[in-house]
Amino acid sequence: MAAQQTGFLWKVGAPAGQGVMTTGLLFSKLCAQSGGQVFDYAEYPSLIQGGHNTYEVFCDATPVSNRQWQVDYLVCLDAITLEEHKHRLGENSIVLLDPAARDVPKDTEYTIIPLPIKELLAELKANSIMANMIALGASWALVGGRRELLIDLIADQFGRKGEEITATNQNCATRGYDAVIAQSPKKTAFPWKKSVEAPLVMGGNDAFSLGAAAADCRFYASYPMTPSSSVLATLAAWQKTTNMVVRHAEDEVGVISEALGASFAGVRSAVGTSGGGFALMTESLSYSGIAEIPIVVFVSQRPGPATGLPTWTEQADLLFACYAGHGEFPKIVLAPGDVNEMLELSKQAFDLADIYQTPVIVLSDKFLSESRMHLDRAAAEQVMSTKPNYGRTIHSPSELPYLRYKATKDGISERLIPGAAGTYYQANSYEHLENSHTTEDPEERTKQVEKRLQKQQTYLENHWQMPSIDGSFDEAKYVFVTWGSSKLVVEQARRLMTEPSAHIHFTHVYPMDREKISTLFAADRHYVLVENNATGQLGTLLRSEAGVDIKHTIHKYDGRAFYSEEIVAALEHYDR
Amino acid sequence: MIDNQPSSLDFTGYTPTWCAGCGNWGIGKAVELALKKQQLSPDGVIMLFDIGCSGNMNDFINAYAMHTLHGRALATAVGVKIANHKLPVLVTGGDGALYGEGGNHFLHACRGNHDLTVIVHDNSVYGLTTGQVSPTASKGKKSKSTPSGIIERPVNPLLLALTQGATFVAQGFTAQLPQLAELITAGMQHKGLAIINVLQPCVTFNKENTYAYYIKNTYKLPEDHDKSNFAQALEQAQSVFAERFPLGILYETTRPTYQEELPQLENHSLVKRGQIKNVVELLQQFE
Repeated sequence: MAAQQTGFLWKVGAPAGQGVMTTGLLFSKLCAQSGGQVFDYAEYPSLIQGGHNTYEVFCDATPVSNRQWQVDYLVCLDAITLEEHKHRLGENSIVLLDPAARDVPKDTEYTIIPLPIKELLAELKANSIMANMIALGASWALVGGRRELLIDLIADQFGRKGEEITATNQNCATRGYDAVIAQSPKKTAFPWKKSVEAPLVMGGNDAFSLGAAAADCRFYASYPMTPSSSVLATLAAWQKTTNMVVRHAEDEVGVISEALGASFAGVRSAVGTSGGGFALMTESLSYSGIAEIPIVVFVSQRPGPATGLPTWTEQADLLFACYAGHGEFPKIVLAPGDVNEMLELSKQAFDLADIYQTPVIVLSDKFLSESRMHLDRAAAEQVMSTKPNYGRTIHSPSELPYLRYKATKDGISERLIPGAAGTYYQANSYEHLENSHTTEDPEERTKQVEKRLQKQQTYLENHWQMPSIDGSFDEAKYVFVTWGSSKLVVEQARRLMTEPSAHIHFTHVYPMDREKISTLFAADRHYVLVENNATGQLGTLLRSEAGVDIKHTIHKYDGRAFYSEEIVAALEHYDR
Repeated sequence: MIDNQPSSLDFTGYTPTWCAGCGNWGIGKAVELALKKQQLSPDGVIMLFDIGCSGNMNDFINAYAMHTLHGRALATAVGVKIANHKLPVLVTGGDGALYGEGGNHFLHACRGNHDLTVIVHDNSVYGLTTGQVSPTASKGKKSKSTPSGIIERPVNPLLLALTQGATFVAQGFTAQLPQLAELITAGMQHKGLAIINVLQPCVTFNKENTYAYYIKNTYKLPEDHDKSNFAQALEQAQSVFAERFPLGILYETTRPTYQEELPQLENHSLVKRGQIKNVVELLQQFE
């Protein structure tokens, strides 16, 4: 395994409610604004007070897409942080802790730098929550960051709250900074520089929110459920700018029913949830299928079954998403692997929902939704400024009588926005005639089933995308196969590996073109599926949808995201 | 307010498949009368039909419509009205749909005062599934699903609507067609959530709550009933516990509708407004 030369992983731990998320976020911003490439991840139990929260930032001079296993800097804001995470410390690691808060371990492999937080707080007459700012300043000094940047960022962050609050935060941070400098620790070799342009760093939920806004989504309904809830908060906060109506409805059944109503009435609509809430929505998904009402469903997975591990991560709802809803109807499932793909595919999801007049599911998971990573600005601006494609949405009937469910060659019929003069139709949950009236006639039934399913074929021919391929199959010792957030893990693993490898990454996971997919798989190559679940769901999907059987899968289902080092270690097992 | 164009379209759709004598006939007719009286036309109104015998009206009355899933007509209507608050939106469904399967949506639609007119076909049975008890069935009622008699006491729809915040609460009887058409018209003219519970016999599966039963047990609200008085409305609604059913508008009050409270809808309906500009600027939040 190649060692990381310049990169470092910084981690802070504190009891829930101590504001550790702010410390982490600000530290990450300092790194990114100083030219670092960052990847952040926060872990927290499903508690508001008293649990152990952590935030880690991996920073390198070259692109990163996962955190690293070894913790280089560990900041302990409680007594248990060191115990919880010391197994990830190495001989060059540095631990910041307050000797007044706990015993200082002796004869450790790693270095301990005492940070007198309690003493400083007393001296500054600051509230205990300010321990965060002391830790932030101390951390920034430890990695060799510029003092002025720290002061500026705090001014930028707290300016709205007034001069006094800003000054207190700045004082605490600079005292923390100075306290570390005074102990002249070993200098970090990180090549800090000033960013030419402010980098864009965000999580998957942020990227979905941007995609929805750019796609002209005008109605978003949701019922809070981790890890999708921040989309609801973000879009709600943007309402004044976007004029979107964002509704927190009574339950997930109401959520999707409302969205289908809004979509029928003519506005692009979406809902967001996690597995349990999605389970409640599936009956309506089927209504969307038969009545051909466009809808975008954002599902951020977390470990199930049932309530499972609410604040942790897993990729275990792929098959559920693909096969959700009773009856047979077309459905499109997209699984972005990073924030760039999330923005692009979220926007595309609204187009596809309109073009094919059917549900489109955008799958995320806690790891992708809440990890912060770099977004390519130029690509994002391009995606966001591209005009939406509303498909065959019409505002007045092109001919009378208007046939809402006209059986066309490609399965797509014109969708008239209600209120147009001179005609009417219904979005019928019963089987219907071309003119939308209810029918039980076997021939009409067959015609409509075929009309709807034809849309799936049309999609495969016109909009479905092959998985992306990175690396050369001919040279590769291993060909990784991923969907969704495993992309991040494998990208980082391939940076650590010395052997040549290739990577097939699925985004347009369902439906898929059997013949085209089968061309990617040859008997003499070593394919390795990487899935953050126990059963290998893409593996199952590939067997059933493409007739491809991948023998080796690297699994993880303890609620934690993969470390890329784990992937590299698992490969060593195949070599034996 | 109403985005309506004159047209030659007719509300009358297919001939209903309801049983001869079914209370739905009267309700269907009253809905049509109310729509015509307001000079609406099928292209200027959105109707939401729930599932059940009542919901089958989807093919008997012509309009822009959604024939939704069971229990979801009201929740779906909430979204319709937010997307296009300029069009009148009617919800039609049974007591099983509105008070049972979709009970939670009912509570919250009342709280929100969404500008919708909800017509509940209350016949105390599930007709389309051949006669099981519904949420308004009297205690002890025997049915296929309750052979020893239902244990629960019935839902009181009027009290439920009143206490949860509906701003218009009325009760009609299918056999009193002119009054019912007036109640529906008044409900549609009302700004906010209008609940109209309509008593209707199921001539096939309910041998107790017959026309004769309702003629005997319904009464006109007293002349001096003050529909703006919440306490009086509550009192009248309680007579249902003694199997006495008031007919008329029990309660009407003014409260801003959900749509009126959304600044996004101030100038244009959501469906008619233009696309937002400068969406790229949102990226700045992530610098």
